[in-house]
Amino acid sequence: MKKMKRRCSILLVLAMLAMCIYACGSKPESNNTDASSPATEKTEGTEKEAENTAPEEGETEKADVPALKGPGNVTLKRLGYNVAWDPTTDIMVDILKESTGYDMEYFILPAENADEKLVMEVSGGADYDIIQCSPNQFQTLMGQGALIPLNDLLEAYGPNILAGVSEESWRACSDEDGNIYGIPYKYPYAQEIASFMACRWDMMQEAGIEAMPTTIDEFYDCLVTLKDYYGDEYIIFSGPYRAPSEGNGTWIFPKVIASAFGIYNDWMVDENGKVYYMTEADGFADMVKFLTKCSNEGLLDPDWAVNTSTTVCEKFAGGKAIIAQMNRNGLGTTVPAMLETLNIDYDDLNYVNALKGPDGTCKYMRTEAINFVTVILRGSENAADAVNWIDLKQQNQLFLNIGVEGTHFNYDENDGSIVPINPIFSDERGNSYWYLDSTNEEEFATQWPARIRKSQAQWEGFEATTLYANEHMPEIFVDNDFAFKPATENYSKYNTALFSSMNDYILQIMAGTKTLDDLAAFQSDWAAAGGEDVREELQAWYSSFYN
Amino acid sequence: MEKIKENISHHRKSVFAGRGMPASTGEKCMSIFAYTVMGLFSLIAILPCLHVISKAISNGPDVTAGNIYFWPVGFQLETVFYVLTKTAFPTALKNSLIVTGFGTVISMITTITTAYPLSKPEFKGRKVITLLYVISMVFFGGMIPAYMVVRSLGLLDTYAACILPFAIVQFNMFIVKNYFESLPESIEESARVDGAGDLRILVSIVCPMSKPVIATVSLLYAINYWNNYFHAMMYTKSPNMNTLQVYLYNIISNSQDFVENLASGNFMINITSEGMVAAAVTLSLIPMIILYPFVSKFMIQGITIGSVKG
Repeated sequence: MKKMKRRCSILLVLAMLAMCIYACGSKPESNNTDASSPATEKTEGTEKEAENTAPEEGETEKADVPALKGPGNVTLKRLGYNVAWDPTTDIMVDILKESTGYDMEYFILPAENADEKLVMEVSGGADYDIIQCSPNQFQTLMGQGALIPLNDLLEAYGPNILAGVSEESWRACSDEDGNIYGIPYKYPYAQEIASFMACRWDMMQEAGIEAMPTTIDEFYDCLVTLKDYYGDEYIIFSGPYRAPSEGNGTWIFPKVIASAFGIYNDWMVDENGKVYYMTEADGFADMVKFLTKCSNEGLLDPDWAVNTSTTVCEKFAGGKAIIAQMNRNGLGTTVPAMLETLNIDYDDLNYVNALKGPDGTCKYMRTEAINFVTVILRGSENAADAVNWIDLKQQNQLFLNIGVEGTHFNYDENDGSIVPINPIFSDERGNSYWYLDSTNEEEFATQWPARIRKSQAQWEGFEATTLYANEHMPEIFVDNDFAFKPATENYSKYNTALFSSMNDYILQIMAGTKTLDDLAAFQSDWAAAGGEDVREELQAWYSSFYN
Repeated sequence: MEKIKENISHHRKSVFAGRGMPASTGEKCMSIFAYTVMGLFSLIAILPCLHVISKAISNGPDVTAGNIYFWPVGFQLETVFYVLTKTAFPTALKNSLIVTGFGTVISMITTITTAYPLSKPEFKGRKVITLLYVISMVFFGGMIPAYMVVRSLGLLDTYAACILPFAIVQFNMFIVKNYFESLPESIEESARVDGAGDLRILVSIVCPMSKPVIATVSLLYAINYWNNYFHAMMYTKSPNMNTLQVYLYNIISNSQDFVENLASGNFMINITSEGMVAAAVTLSLIPMIILYPFVSKFMIQGITIGSVKG
């Protein structure tokens, strides 16, 4: 009896192990089948449908393009990035339904592990019709062969999309053969000073400063004047404005200072098309020296090495710092609080724009980049309607994103720009950005600033920095050489760590534990830690994309 | 046995309460030291809570300016009302309560009905089945196979997806099984003589005798369901299926989304990004704070049961 039991146990354990091995074994062909079979079925089905349905006037006659089911006959499922509010209950749901006629179901990716969840859902046969994903997620899905080429669909059902998106944006979402796998959403403002410095102008004037600094030397003089006048009573210059999470790639030195030293990105390209890293830039050593000098003279926030955007905002909003590195969101948070608690008004605030170097030059990177890509999965049974829905939205771009003239916005009498009417604009179009898939890029560039203008705090900063720079010194803007670069292996693997190590190196120099003499050693460590691999990858991409 | 217990009890009283004779200086010093140390330790737990609660109800501009430490500056409830009425907090709370409530009941049914037969030596094959539970406790198939199972069962985006995969936690089942094994067999035998069947014995005899372990394990399950973030996040996709933990994570990551619109034209100045996070966290604590006084003794029991039997 005992023997029998033992045998049974052994057999059972062996059977379980075999099951485990079978279950864990990869079966790529079945995944492929999962991903591709619906598309095959659909094509067969739609061919039959196409035979039975006589194309109406103006409709494509191509047999391999799926037929349109039309609004009312289908419910589309759209998956978007994470937001804290509920996109299924926002007012935009009804507005979009009225505008396009389509019934929609909206889903969101989680705030954490979004990439993993997306891949898992897609490989598990997700039934979304439209997925709005990040460029990295787009590359992953494209690499898995999970996406449907959109060329024919766009030709048939997306004339507005095709017309509105620029050639460069299309190239960023296409393969080498010209197959379009995603609809790009480009950041609407090509030349924005996204990171600048906000100042207490009232305190600066009290210290005897008569004009805002425009060069790096004037800025240094300004800091010294403030230090002489206020001593240790206030933090003269607080920063850096970096996100609290680790390894997020935010700079530990202000971009408007780096601009004076010719540094505008971590990876740059010289006149001969050669890719080089920030530490190899001519102005790098001077920039680090400048920051170290400021730090040694007590002009910088003593917490510079540990500050985050939250602590910088707190110091500026609390009246503890006179100058603070900032962005638009930071202004939206801090300025209303300052007006309330510090008894100041907008005239008491001012902004330091991109600074010019001693030689009068300045380089600030254009903000042009693909923010999101909308894709359609191979399994989608409603690909035609998905493209049609996106196209219908783009037809009504102004109405859907900005609203109705006289109700949600007015045109500025002087320059014709869009001035939002609050609070209805915020209430009814505040969250419209999440429902965007593609835009008429040219038109949206003039419509989008209304979204900043809805907050006076943000608009004041935007006017003083971005609009001023565009009008008075447009020559400072240099192209983002890698704006349309897809995710690549080495870059994804090493670049965040490389950037962090460079930040650490600069902080160590500022703290006095290292010097610029260690730069050669840093660069050799950096190269060994993947720097050279990334450079080769970027160089190859740059050469193939631009040549 | 009773005498020994009485002796221990009497000894404790004389040492710690000093009943009948004054406590010695050493005992007093020890008490003061113990109270001070424990007080400091409890401050470590209390101060962050105070900070968060203070942020939730303080004036918005002071929250932004970092003026809040452990006591509110000013007072407002706009943020709390905003979180309650304009965000998905009520839906998330409802989802968490449903998952926790139904989940705990289902888990207890599965756990008890599994543990009871496995606690009976005469149950044939119990060792093999127990071994299977041990194996599944030690080895986990991994996230992707688990996801595929949930998907193929059609459970994705349902409450069941947040409950059924965790309907039985092996460790809890073994705690209950061991407790059942410690019950005197004679009571069950007498019930059987009186004509009671297995189910009747389980429901009417064993379960009432096992109240402590049932209460403790229920609590462990409830905490598990309430705190479950990762699986709720993986197995649901509709915003209206978010549990409280998923909702909190979203709010903490993206609270700026709300404030962007609110800050326009300085409307509702009291509602700030940090204030919203604090209010959401504070509100999510309330159900646990209400429940805790009723279940704290079971938590302590749980530690004891786990240490001796588990």
